[in-house]
Amino acid sequence: MKRKDMLRICLQNLMRRKSRTFLTVLGVLIGCCSIVIMVSLGIGMKEAQERTLSQMGDLTIITVNAPQGGRGKVKLDDPLLRRIRGIPGVEALTPKQGLEADSISLIAGAGRRYVADWTSVVGVDTNALEQVGYRLVEGTLPKREGEVLIGQYLAYSFKDTLRPEGRNMIDRWSAEFDDSGKPVDPPPPYFDPLKGQLTMVVETQNGKVTIPLTPVGVVKEDYSKGSETSEGLLFNMPDLQKLMEKVQGKKGRKPAYESVMVKVKGIEQVEPVEQEIKTMGYPTESMESIRKPMEKEARQKQLMLGGLGAISLFVAALGITNTMIMSISERTREIGIMKSLGCYVSDIRIMFLSEAGAIGLIGGLIGCVISFGAMIAINLVSLGPSLENVIPAIVGGESVTRVSIIPPWLLLFAILFSVLIGLGSGYYPANKAVRIPALEAIKSE
Amino acid sequence: MNGPDLRSRPIIEVKNVRKEYPIGDETVVALKRINLNVSRGEICCIFGTSGSGKSTLLNQLAGMEKPTRGEVRIGGVPISRLNENQLAAFRQQHLGFVFQSYNLLPNLTATENVALPLMFRGVPKAQREAAARKLLTRVGLSHRLDHFPWQMSGGQQQRAGIARAFIARPDVVFADEPTGNLDSKTTVEIMDMICTFARDYHQTIILVTHDPEMAAYAHRIVTLIDGEIVRNEINQKERPPHEA
Repeated sequence: MKRKDMLRICLQNLMRRKSRTFLTVLGVLIGCCSIVIMVSLGIGMKEAQERTLSQMGDLTIITVNAPQGGRGKVKLDDPLLRRIRGIPGVEALTPKQGLEADSISLIAGAGRRYVADWTSVVGVDTNALEQVGYRLVEGTLPKREGEVLIGQYLAYSFKDTLRPEGRNMIDRWSAEFDDSGKPVDPPPPYFDPLKGQLTMVVETQNGKVTIPLTPVGVVKEDYSKGSETSEGLLFNMPDLQKLMEKVQGKKGRKPAYESVMVKVKGIEQVEPVEQEIKTMGYPTESMESIRKPMEKEARQKQLMLGGLGAISLFVAALGITNTMIMSISERTREIGIMKSLGCYVSDIRIMFLSEAGAIGLIGGLIGCVISFGAMIAINLVSLGPSLENVIPAIVGGESVTRVSIIPPWLLLFAILFSVLIGLGSGYYPANKAVRIPALEAIKSE
Repeated sequence: MNGPDLRSRPIIEVKNVRKEYPIGDETVVALKRINLNVSRGEICCIFGTSGSGKSTLLNQLAGMEKPTRGEVRIGGVPISRLNENQLAAFRQQHLGFVFQSYNLLPNLTATENVALPLMFRGVPKAQREAAARKLLTRVGLSHRLDHFPWQMSGGQQQRAGIARAFIARPDVVFADEPTGNLDSKTTVEIMDMICTFARDYHQTIILVTHDPEMAAYAHRIVTLIDGEIVRNEINQKERPPHEA
């Protein structure tokens, strides 16, 4: 028998009992929808969690700290950096070192008009900066000695010495609200530090060091990185080390760092890399310790939701089996006739299997369409039902947290699963059909 | 001219066929010891009252059931020993059936029903349905090509049934009480049609009936009583078929 004929017969048989086919398909459809929607809610939940976590910090950054009381061999030094760089999965890293001093002040503007009494200074490997998660909002990376990066809101920490005391600083936290209740952006700072030179004065018990600086870029504020991204300075590491020698008067010492930021290629690499660094004897920190239990919980919830959906698809499978058994007992005679006319046993089996499979396929396809619609509806409800939210509800977006997410693989999986359920539940009836003897054609009713 | 071919090897050979059915603890013997040869081109009537074993014999001949003992050969092939798939292939190539209750598939049109044996063989749709339409026209159903069985009278359904039995040009056509549900006028038409086809294509017909009138069409009449052949005679008063 030709495949095409088989398909035609199968569809004809499905069309014969429209209401029964419809109800069986409906069962599969509901099962498919419940699986897809449940899993999509699970995925949405997981994504929302990861979004929350990544707001707390980059998920693929491991921070290596100097061991407590690190007088021994385990120091954060250049050989260690090379070792960490050699671990598979490590994409980039930078050492980090703060400048310790009694006071660090900045002076800017013509006639030393603007003065910041305090700032924090950090040395990093500026070449690896963007890879480990710092973002430049303006300008370029430092290339020459004396060039530095500044925190996004450094300008707000300057006071204008020409204004009266008490009203000579702009408080960027002064929360003012407009008529609609939205916070008003603070007024711009007095000057743009990128457009001039800075003079930094560092005081320690050894004395006072004054050095000129050229700010070349602005780093985006990031609480997970440190206060230098808000109101501080970022030096290239060699620059900072020179400065430290000057300030502390110690020379020729091998540099050791406060901490190292390690960026790994993906979330999966965080755990093995972190483990390896730990076995080297260094304490580490990453979001992994928070992410792991959250992920585990999300997976449990997802399994639970998916399981609920699977139950309804299983019930639908019973429906298919029931429908097929009914239809076979109705068609006993027909099967006998077909056999006596020379229809192969295997063709009869395929005929019934494809009928069951078709019910699964149709149910799965419609189920996916409906689930997709449900996803849009759920997301619209959570995002607010307006026209401009339709696109984010479907494809999501940078700042959009969707409650329900259906990735393409889920649709594909749902359709495949429905067809498999159909075939699986048609297996027993098809075998039953195959065993009907040709003799049934002759038996009188 | 196209009478039975008595010289060459018989197309159907039945050797010592015995059939028993277990019913509860007892065993019912439906066929005792049947020996029968049917020649190519012969119209053979298996005649008997109900319970005589004639239907059981038909089942053995057509390979619907396996005999308890003995062997049935059609064209030299021991069909009583074929497995299901071999049997299906054999039916496609060599056997046709006309049933008492027509047995057209209810969801197929007359044309599709007639084309069914060709579909099982894998003949493309256009080709097999053209053949089916041609044959339906020949049995006088040119106005019923796309009708479903429930839209046709019994006589019309049986004509479609005959067209279906003959479409694949089988060597042997089994007809089980083909006119059992029809009135006498239609019976004559149907029998004429079967005989004409058989004669035209030199086919062998096994006709099972309890009606002596029908037996008159046959070349050979085999009479069965209680599972035994009591008479196996050449029909002297063979009735020439009317032109269909």
